[in-house]
Amino acid sequence: MIEIPLAMPQIYTIGIAIAFFTIIIAFSSILQEKDDIHKMIIIDLVEITGLVVIALIATDLAEALILPGLVVGIAEIMAISELWLAKENLQQKHSAKKLDIEVMKTAPPIIGAMLTTYGIFLTGFSGGLIAALGLMIYFFGKNVDVPFAKIENAAGYAWALWIIAFLIFMFIPSQWFLATMLAAVGIMLKVMAKMSLVGTMRGAE
Amino acid sequence: MFEQIHEQTLLLLPFGDIVHYLSGYTVILAAFAVMFLLLALVSLPERPIDIVFGTDGYYIKEIPVDIMKFQRFMALACGISTIGAITTGDIFNFTLFAIFIGILNIGIVAAVENKHVLDAAFSYGLVVMMATIPLFAGAATIIATCGTLSIGELVDTDATPLIAKLLILIGVFGEGMAPFYIGKTEITRAPGAPYILMIHVSSLLLFLRTIEIFLTV
Repeated sequence: MIEIPLAMPQIYTIGIAIAFFTIIIAFSSILQEKDDIHKMIIIDLVEITGLVVIALIATDLAEALILPGLVVGIAEIMAISELWLAKENLQQKHSAKKLDIEVMKTAPPIIGAMLTTYGIFLTGFSGGLIAALGLMIYFFGKNVDVPFAKIENAAGYAWALWIIAFLIFMFIPSQWFLATMLAAVGIMLKVMAKMSLVGTMRGAE
Repeated sequence: MFEQIHEQTLLLLPFGDIVHYLSGYTVILAAFAVMFLLLALVSLPERPIDIVFGTDGYYIKEIPVDIMKFQRFMALACGISTIGAITTGDIFNFTLFAIFIGILNIGIVAAVENKHVLDAAFSYGLVVMMATIPLFAGAATIIATCGTLSIGELVDTDATPLIAKLLILIGVFGEGMAPFYIGKTEITRAPGAPYILMIHVSSLLLFLRTIEIFLTV
């Protein structure tokens, strides 16, 4: 058995030192990089190492700041990469050539339906993720039009469900079971809608 | 609680231990933000005119309606998040609003088809991305040392570490770039005056509010 002869606080201190060291390395690489898209990717790297620092502050509450950090980081990288596409005039304008693959017509609906059913059965965050994967595989198949507007509607209703569940928790705490179920279904739909929309974005329409 | 700001507090809006407030100082900032919000709401964008030298001819830059609508929406959202950053009583909400302002500032000019503007917006966007982390790291340091993010409670504890303040300051520099407008000059070549102005107004007000927070906490 290997025993590490360090107390936890020391490990955190060493970890923070290492994280700062990686941040310095990442920043020095930004100075040397000239290409725009590479700069953007390296800055995303800097963000991740920064999140490591936040994680090593090591309070539960401080760690709660990691999730917004990640979400905001993803939102920013999506916005800026769209800007980069517009700047470099790289949006896809002509349609793609078609491959005739038979299995793309038959398999995706079956696998997609299976995964989506399993996800709905699971509910909650992980269920939403699996159902979203199912939907993405379904949209991946041929001869499918993605009903973006309907999925967005579903996300809206899911949000409303979530808020209703929250209000039930606040004002009628005795009905906690109903609220939990509403919240679970709500977040399942929400994650499913979000993930499948992100997964099927195909550039500017 | 609120010894320093209580004397001149005009409005208190408590949500649990988080108390949103308007003091004599921030009410002016909020009024300024509301004014520009209304301006962006009611006015049409200005159209830049170039006079052709040697003749009496002129070029006028028309702004397409869809771009105008997009810019207006972004400017309004930017104004609302500025008001949020000014009135909030919570450091975490403040950092979130600051990040919103950063993203929305890019959004205001993102639809403009001018290579210089897009170049500048892209570089500014990279700075905004980098600045996210100092902001959250500052908030995380505050909550790790003081155990709260409410400005009212932080006034009582009086133990906010200097490093956290500095981290938040660096973050605000990155999001708003308030004293360093020079980094955003190219962006203002974008046509559409009242909406573009919101970029400056929001970063200036964000910076002034940051000063207020640091003097209070």
